[in-house]
Amino acid sequence: MRNLQLSLNQTQKIRLQTALEKLESLSSKSNSNSCVTVADSIPIYEDGILKGHGTSDRKGELVATVCGVVERINKLIYVRTLRSRYKPETGDIVIGRVIEDYDHTMVFQIYFMDLAVSVEAKASFLRKKTHMCTHTAKENLCSSFKIELIAPPLTGAVHQSLRRRTAVDELNMRSIFTENDLVCAEVRSSQNDGSLQLQARSQKYGKLEKGQLLMIDPYLVKRRKQHFHHLEQYGIDLILGCNGFVWVGEHVEARDTIVVNDSEQLAKKSGGTSMDLDEQVENHTPPETRQNICRIANAIRVLSALGFNVILEVIMETVKLSNTMNLDIHEMLGSEFYVLVAEKEAERRSSLSQKEKVILACNLRTKF
Amino acid sequence: MVGLSEGEKEFIKGGIAQDLRSDGRKRHTYRPFYVETGVIPQANGSARVRLGATDVIASVKAELGKPSSLQPDKGKVAIFVDCSPTAAPMFEGRGGEDLSAELSGALQRCLLGSKSGAGAGIDLSSLVVVEGKVCWDLYIDGLVVSADGNILDALGAAIKAALSNTGIPRVNVAAGAANDDQPEVDISDEEFLQFDTSGVPVIVTLTKVGKHYIVDATSEEESQMSSAVSISINRQGHICGMTKRGGSGLDPSVILDMVSVANFVSRQLFDKLDSEISAAEADEDES
Amino acid sequence: MEYVSPEGLRLDGRRPMEMRQLRAEIGVVAKADGSAMFEMGNTKVIAAVYGPREVQNRSQQITDQALVRCEYSMANFSTGDRMRKPKGDRRSTEISLVIRQTMEACILTNLMPRSQIDIFVQVLQADGGTRSACINAATLALADAGIPMRDIVTSCSAGYLNSTPLLDLNYVEDSAGGPDVTVGILPTLDKVTLLQVGFHLYSMWLQRTEC
Repeated sequence: MRNLQLSLNQTQKIRLQTALEKLESLSSKSNSNSCVTVADSIPIYEDGILKGHGTSDRKGELVATVCGVVERINKLIYVRTLRSRYKPETGDIVIGRVIEDYDHTMVFQIYFMDLAVSVEAKASFLRKKTHMCTHTAKENLCSSFKIELIAPPLTGAVHQSLRRRTAVDELNMRSIFTENDLVCAEVRSSQNDGSLQLQARSQKYGKLEKGQLLMIDPYLVKRRKQHFHHLEQYGIDLILGCNGFVWVGEHVEARDTIVVNDSEQLAKKSGGTSMDLDEQVENHTPPETRQNICRIANAIRVLSALGFNVILEVIMETVKLSNTMNLDIHEMLGSEFYVLVAEKEAERRSSLSQKEKVILACNLRTKF
Repeated sequence: MVGLSEGEKEFIKGGIAQDLRSDGRKRHTYRPFYVETGVIPQANGSARVRLGATDVIASVKAELGKPSSLQPDKGKVAIFVDCSPTAAPMFEGRGGEDLSAELSGALQRCLLGSKSGAGAGIDLSSLVVVEGKVCWDLYIDGLVVSADGNILDALGAAIKAALSNTGIPRVNVAAGAANDDQPEVDISDEEFLQFDTSGVPVIVTLTKVGKHYIVDATSEEESQMSSAVSISINRQGHICGMTKRGGSGLDPSVILDMVSVANFVSRQLFDKLDSEISAAEADEDES
Repeated sequence: MEYVSPEGLRLDGRRPMEMRQLRAEIGVVAKADGSAMFEMGNTKVIAAVYGPREVQNRSQQITDQALVRCEYSMANFSTGDRMRKPKGDRRSTEISLVIRQTMEACILTNLMPRSQIDIFVQVLQADGGTRSACINAATLALADAGIPMRDIVTSCSAGYLNSTPLLDLNYVEDSAGGPDVTVGILPTLDKVTLLQVGFHLYSMWLQRTEC
């Protein structure tokens, strides 16, 4: 429960407290003893365990080095932190921002904070079966992995012909991405030396436009089969990046950036000099779509501030709740709605608790 | 400061043009804001104002001093603002000084009126203890703890709240001192005088993005602004001060238009602020 | 002056070995990676942690460990009498250094090579023991940021007045001029990471403090 910029009145406080206590009681059955703080010892039930993230050895005893939840996968024991930077896994969908673009090198930011750990991807001659341009990691600046970005397919022709990477490709790359652009990609593999490859397998990956980016704590986004959601009734694309970057934007049918660029250029040419302000307005997102984008974005804001998992069903339920209450979109960020969402979530989880293991972050306890 | 891609910039600008901003607000809606008073018990008065993710603290300290020879019948007020590096690593060391100086200057212009003290939101003559000899010096300090746009309005609101929270000790002047001497004073520990803060203005900053202007811009929206005008307005709807920031020029008619919008917005802000302040003070009394 | 009454009570009514009331809250600064507010009685500090992130000044980069930086600043209104020169005096530089060294000792810096961790500590109210409060706040903020550490550092000050050892001095006791120590302890590892002694101490005693 962090960053809750709320002032609650007495009844709201009590209601929120009850809801949170209910949530806690639901979760404590499953993992009350697996929450650790720094320097707590982690019990070992078998020999030959593997020490993962957030653990270290102290006089033969396994201790936590971060606060979080102990996870055991076969012999691997690691501590999943609630508030730390994203740790990539193969197959993760991530959203990154190009923060630097110089000298054949692109630097991507895929972390929560600005000026976060950035990654250099250098243009190289690597070729993959279906991917033309490959950017190999040259050097990683901070953490212990490298990132390789395999570019989204450029054009159909290039896509099929496996020709050698040339300066022209580099220029193409440059024409697609400029600094600060948002790019969606998939983690292809992370290798032994800690290096990591990003790839854009199909046209749904690539540059993101016409929408807003929300940055939430990565632990709130659970890894699932589907991270791309096309909400047809709203005409919206929702991408839940595993790195905590969430994209809510207008639905785009094809993400072939070259084509988009071309059509934009064409539009500019045809518009010519006579393009005035009124015409620009026509390029804007339609008002209904924008309302939906904002409503969904605010639902995610509320959920992440409360420390609830951001999954599609919960988001849609929150949106529905706000709709049935006839709330204005900006009123969703008021105290009353937070309390309501917490109560609703408590209800939802208690009804689900039989079927589903509920994992509630222990940060719920810290503040209240 | 995170950069924004062209698509996001367009989205923000489009939202402002369509009167529906990224967080669902209209152009003239404020983010939810909260006031907490008495956060610094060592000060005579203090308040913390949170406006979205922007978080500021203002404190008022009163010290006895001597009035200046030009205005023997008035006390002195000084405003200083400090940007804590906790708000952004960029404020580390001397990095926050430019912004601090800009904010202090703007607040002084908006709240303190002219050099002579005429037209100040705070009644300076109420600060005098013995004319020409002893007066209260008010030191108003602002601290930016967390910054997400619209710091000036938040500071203005925090200062207003801190002033209404301020109690100045009653001073008893020893009678019968010779005229030339500095009179002996006795500061009471128990009796405090409250300020009349009804004259203290609020500050409304209108940020111009594209053709339109918005109130309470977030830092993302501020990055897209062409210029911003901060107008301080009192209860009566009179303008107490005005500051323009940002590079591009403004058409005079636009400024007049902005003033009338600010006037309208300020009335809502006054009501909201007053109710928040009284709620905060009730809270403080309880605890 | 009498700092301990014959009944064994201090000026603020505490027993000699009693600490002031503690209050802590995490996540107080929205944009920081980790942040915490820590109160010891009237002393109130905020700590914010940014990082681990790319080293800003490349020449300071360390290839095998993280660079830890710290800045301590006091708000103008934090002291009883208003401060006039808030930034960059020798005392703040010294305290920044003390905090940095204490935190460096407990952060597992070797896990984050070529990165930088910034710790910013802001004193809102000073009533004795700011050093300790800052260290406690900084630890909480680091833990909140999910930065791997050996242990949680806890810190407290103690003094010796009227031939009585006193725990957790407030401003009046601190400025009384008696001997004082500030201790930082890693409680689980049972190690002292910070020890500052002012004035003579005739007999050494260390007061264990566990927050």
